[in-house]
Amino acid sequence: MADVAVQHSVAGAYEPSLFGTYSKKIGMWLFLLSDSLTFGALLFAYSYGRISTPNWPTPFGKASIVNATIMTVCLLSSSLTMVLGVLASKKGDHKATVRWLLATMFFGALFVVLHAKEWNGLIHEGLRPFSNPWAKNVPQFGGTFFTLTGMHMLHVTIGVCYLGVVALRKKWLPILLGIWLLGWLLTPATNVFHLGIHVLLLVAVVSAVILVLKPKVYDAHDVEIAGLYWHFVDLVWMFIFPLVYLMSTKVV
Amino acid sequence: MHDVALKPPVAAVHEESRTPYYFVWVALLVLTGIEVVLTYNQVFAPVRMLEVLMGLSVIKSAMIIAYFMHLKFEIASMKWVLMVSLVVCLTLMFVFFADAFRIIHLGVR
Amino acid sequence: MTQAHGPADAAPATVHGHAPTGFIRKYVFSLDHKVIGIQYYFLALTAVCIGMILSLAMRIHMVWPDASIPFFGAIKPEQYLTLMTMHGTIMVFFVLTTAPQSGFGNYFLPIQIGAPDMAFPTLNMLSFWTTFLSFAVMISAFFVAGGAPLSGWTNYPTLSAIPMAGPGEGLGEDLWLISIALFCVASMMGALNFITTTLDLRAKGMTLMRMPLTCWSWFITAILGLLAFGVLLAGGILLLMDRNLGTSFFVPGGLVVSGVPVQHSGGSPLLWQHLFWFFGHPEVYIAILPGMGVASQLLSTFSRKPIFGYRAMVYAMMAIGILGFMVWGHHMFMSGMSPYSAFAFSFMTMAIGVPSAIKTFNWLGTMWKGKIRFTVPMLFAIGFVSLFVSGGLSGPFLAQPAIDIPLHDTYFVVAHFHLIMGVAAIFGIFAATYYWFPKMYGRMMNDALGKIHFVMTFVGAYCIFMPMHYLGMAGNPRRYSQFTEVKYLAPLIPIHKFITYAAIITVSAQLLFLFNFFWSMKKGKKAAQNPWEATTLEWTTATPPPHDNFGGVTPVVYHGAYEYSVPGAEKDYIMQTDPTPVPAH
Repeated sequence: MADVAVQHSVAGAYEPSLFGTYSKKIGMWLFLLSDSLTFGALLFAYSYGRISTPNWPTPFGKASIVNATIMTVCLLSSSLTMVLGVLASKKGDHKATVRWLLATMFFGALFVVLHAKEWNGLIHEGLRPFSNPWAKNVPQFGGTFFTLTGMHMLHVTIGVCYLGVVALRKKWLPILLGIWLLGWLLTPATNVFHLGIHVLLLVAVVSAVILVLKPKVYDAHDVEIAGLYWHFVDLVWMFIFPLVYLMSTKVV
Repeated sequence: MHDVALKPPVAAVHEESRTPYYFVWVALLVLTGIEVVLTYNQVFAPVRMLEVLMGLSVIKSAMIIAYFMHLKFEIASMKWVLMVSLVVCLTLMFVFFADAFRIIHLGVR
Repeated sequence: MTQAHGPADAAPATVHGHAPTGFIRKYVFSLDHKVIGIQYYFLALTAVCIGMILSLAMRIHMVWPDASIPFFGAIKPEQYLTLMTMHGTIMVFFVLTTAPQSGFGNYFLPIQIGAPDMAFPTLNMLSFWTTFLSFAVMISAFFVAGGAPLSGWTNYPTLSAIPMAGPGEGLGEDLWLISIALFCVASMMGALNFITTTLDLRAKGMTLMRMPLTCWSWFITAILGLLAFGVLLAGGILLLMDRNLGTSFFVPGGLVVSGVPVQHSGGSPLLWQHLFWFFGHPEVYIAILPGMGVASQLLSTFSRKPIFGYRAMVYAMMAIGILGFMVWGHHMFMSGMSPYSAFAFSFMTMAIGVPSAIKTFNWLGTMWKGKIRFTVPMLFAIGFVSLFVSGGLSGPFLAQPAIDIPLHDTYFVVAHFHLIMGVAAIFGIFAATYYWFPKMYGRMMNDALGKIHFVMTFVGAYCIFMPMHYLGMAGNPRRYSQFTEVKYLAPLIPIHKFITYAAIITVSAQLLFLFNFFWSMKKGKKAAQNPWEATTLEWTTATPPPHDNFGGVTPVVYHGAYEYSVPGAEKDYIMQTDPTPVPAH
């Protein structure tokens, strides 16, 4: 949503907006509506598989649950910092805005790192998209786990980069490329994230195109709609966390 | 600014205080804690547990949407149109489950 | 609200107020909704030509199985399935979704509501180029090893989930899925743009209930697209996972392909059908609703009468939109779906007949005792109503599981959905093309050629699809590549031959249209600013419209879109921008 055709500058030239707010925010809400149906469909697919399959494995012990809870706390806190960033930008406090956005990005990145660590652990234990070590006759467990959490991780990653563009603009590009290069060099070639980290390169290219073609200082509106996206990512996790993790807590 | 005319005055009054957001944050953390404690101790049987968890999750997401995403402070038509269409579409998908249960009962693998 | 960081720009009325001059910014990566609309239109025109050639090849192969067809050679059965799959996919996604909504909607929605452009011009450009990329990926499936997929436009697993299940199910199938995923993203971007534009950019006085019904139909279609395409995207992602990462969302256990056991178990093909049709049924309305809008607009304009029951038309469209989300299961009566949900789906499907009938009666009521001008666009609009009724009437038959079960895999269904979703929607596109061509290119399309084109297409469409009802009731299965060797179908072969002849003639009639289109663009009679004496905003501006649509001014609207033959008025139509009050009537 790089630009809008009309800024409603001439008061009275247009009918008042039906949703009483500016176009970009409506656009972002509509996007989120569509995206929540994508996630909704994925969650329904997961539930469908789970209902129709007896003996669904419940492998997540204390360590996993603690880790996932910390991840949840990360996301919730990032939502708080995000909302404070939006408030700061509304007051016109640019420095505070950037600070809060950076805090949000920190929590978001922490979430992704913790999540990646957990993926690695599970893959090490033998979890694959097509099989799992806990229940041989329920191949869906790995598939649903990786699809749901992977799709969400992708959204968080894009969200962090989105906030980076809004907060730091062109300064964000070298940082992003640095993270990409480091991540690529530091992960072993057999690791899934050795390949997955290239998402960052793709995002960097897209961000570069946006920053070059539409250079602008992002205003309070841009921060607010970035915030909408971020809270949405948080919201989706509020369903993935109980459905995927808590409902698969190890029975002691 | 150019969009002064568009902003409902309510939002302008509201934007000052940070306290509600801290409260929401704490509430979300507490609800998450409750969820974790309930499941870790296996307080309910699975189906009841699912109902409780989904209930709590709906409350959490409602708080996120209302406060963090600011929908509470948008005008009524926006609230209703967005939420109703989303809820209706997601509710419709519950039809899927009739078939998921059938697979178990018919014994198809 | 204040803004401390950021340029305190003076916020011009339009962000790109002056037209770009370079060729690339003007015609290729244009931000102008009119150029993007035409780009979409030409994409659809290319697609429809390809889709039509595929259908001709199928028809010819069906009755002369040994014939060698130019480009295709002698068609093998699996090749037939490829043709069928690609015909369906290209027609549904790249023609019926693209032309009426993205093409004409893009061009005329902003003009008809008095906006200078779509709400997000860059996003608009992006959604066109994503659609283009999607189309390119789809076409490339023809040229990879194994060829295009053969699992139908509905792409049911398990056939579509297992790469070794057929010749096109390797790379071709992956390309199909990637193309559709891209298309979902593009349509979602387009839909949110349409909705925001309608909500935000209506000119002063253009209240919702003064909008032309075309705008209503684009608006409701966009809402359907926004809600439906996300679900297909999810389904596509899961199917790609099944194919490439070995998951089993859609593949049940115990399958054996060519003697090799399949390494999947526990999935359910029904899940795909649910996800697909949750999108697929709203998609049907995405194809037909813009046609309904155009038909309403044209019937009123050329009958010189206000539309009969404007509000009823709007509410009927909303009802169709809402019910459209609750009926997807009627595509799945034979799938082993729970019979209880089948009952509910059957009921809702019958219910959707009510708003459809309201629309039909209002169209007839609009024409009743009107001073009808039988122009070419009007003929196509009448043709639309005729085909909508003929195709729609078989809907209540198929909505009942008891009748659907014997009919569902026969030519009866082929006839039903081609008449209502295929040809009726195409008639909507033709009507829109003939109607708006003078605004788009400043010239009229040739009237005589247009009338010949109408008669041939109208009669041809009925000749092709009406006999298919009888084929279906006689038990002729669909999706089979040839019937000549099947004994019980032998008596039906003459009907098939008749259909094929009709198809060849009808397709050649489309050459007339193509010729007329391109010839008129250069050599057609110069058009007046308002050649049809219509009331809506696009006819108040220059032809073709300037870059910001209204030359720097924002129109002010005083009337609804259908003030025709108002008693006491000077002329038999009152422009929406005419400030004189309408005499009481």
